[in-house]
Amino acid sequence: MSSRQRVQQWATFARQWHIFDCKWQNPYESAIAIVKHLKGLHKPIYHPMNDCGDHVICINTKEIALPGNEWTKRAYFHHTGYPGGASWTLAWELHSKDPVMIMKKAIYRRLGNNLQRRYTMQRLHLFPDDNVPKELIENVTSQIRQLRVVPQRIDHIEKDVIDNYPKIMDYPTDYLPKTLK
Amino acid sequence: MNHSQFLVSGFLRAPIYNGIGRQINQLQRVTLKFCKSHGSSQGMRNFIENNLVDFAKQNDSVVLYVKPRRHRSPVIVAEYLNGDRKWMSCHNRPSEEILKWLSLLSLQAGDTEPIRYRKHWHTDVPSIQGPWNPFTHKNPGHIIAEYPHEGLGRVFKAPQSATEKLLKIAKKRNESENKKE
Repeated sequence: MSSRQRVQQWATFARQWHIFDCKWQNPYESAIAIVKHLKGLHKPIYHPMNDCGDHVICINTKEIALPGNEWTKRAYFHHTGYPGGASWTLAWELHSKDPVMIMKKAIYRRLGNNLQRRYTMQRLHLFPDDNVPKELIENVTSQIRQLRVVPQRIDHIEKDVIDNYPKIMDYPTDYLPKTLK
Repeated sequence: MNHSQFLVSGFLRAPIYNGIGRQINQLQRVTLKFCKSHGSSQGMRNFIENNLVDFAKQNDSVVLYVKPRRHRSPVIVAEYLNGDRKWMSCHNRPSEEILKWLSLLSLQAGDTEPIRYRKHWHTDVPSIQGPWNPFTHKNPGHIIAEYPHEGLGRVFKAPQSATEKLLKIAKKRNESENKKE
């Protein structure tokens, strides 16, 4: 094997690093896209016996968006193993305790019951905000696209954009808008 | 029962040197083991007495060893250039049959036991571009981009929002009004 072939072999089986911004994303929906990269399913060299999974960094897990009334209705079950040790934690409670946990559990569940699951999870790096250690972020060469459009909050829009927004009509000068109580 | 579990696994291969330059006999070494007194070696003893010298003269590239051992059944062990070792019992075989088996072994290129193919494809013309790697067909700008990247992480082909539609209509109307003036 020539040195060129050897390097080509390294390149083919090199682990790539991806980054995913969880801001305003549904964790259960985005887990599908993340798991695909963690397992290496997006590669043409994929084979179940071929260890070709990639690393994924998930940032802004604090700002995930659960659909519908899931913040109050979804419960996470845990049992300590002792009698009476069962506990049900609501999603909003869990998220306030650990802002990474919901995303982590969504991906862990999506991986399926498999002997490789624990080792695949080791390649996942979750961060509640966008403060990622430099030694991790410098490896990143690709970004996984978000699945949902991030809505813009009205108080984050600049004032002149709001002032110049097209209007159908101007309010009369003596118009008094309803004040909120 | 899954028969493939008991098959030796391997890759499809051929002695590529034969057919390009001179013919190289792939059989390198043959060991004939037999007993001098036991009846099961009668055929082997006859073969050694009558045919062995002729066989050795015809196949001068093959090294022949004759190994007498007491009260054990006769055996042929053929060793090939590719490292294969073929063991064959000749218990109660007549000398004519041993000659036939030996001439068969001398024509073969290795152990011809069936193998389970590890890969079901093979190419004589490997790709000129080289094997795939994570950066084939990738935009080189994406590799050196700063991550997390605003544009690369955004939803791909997001549907037009109502706000965008409204702004587009307003812009069009403004332009047409400006033209009239």
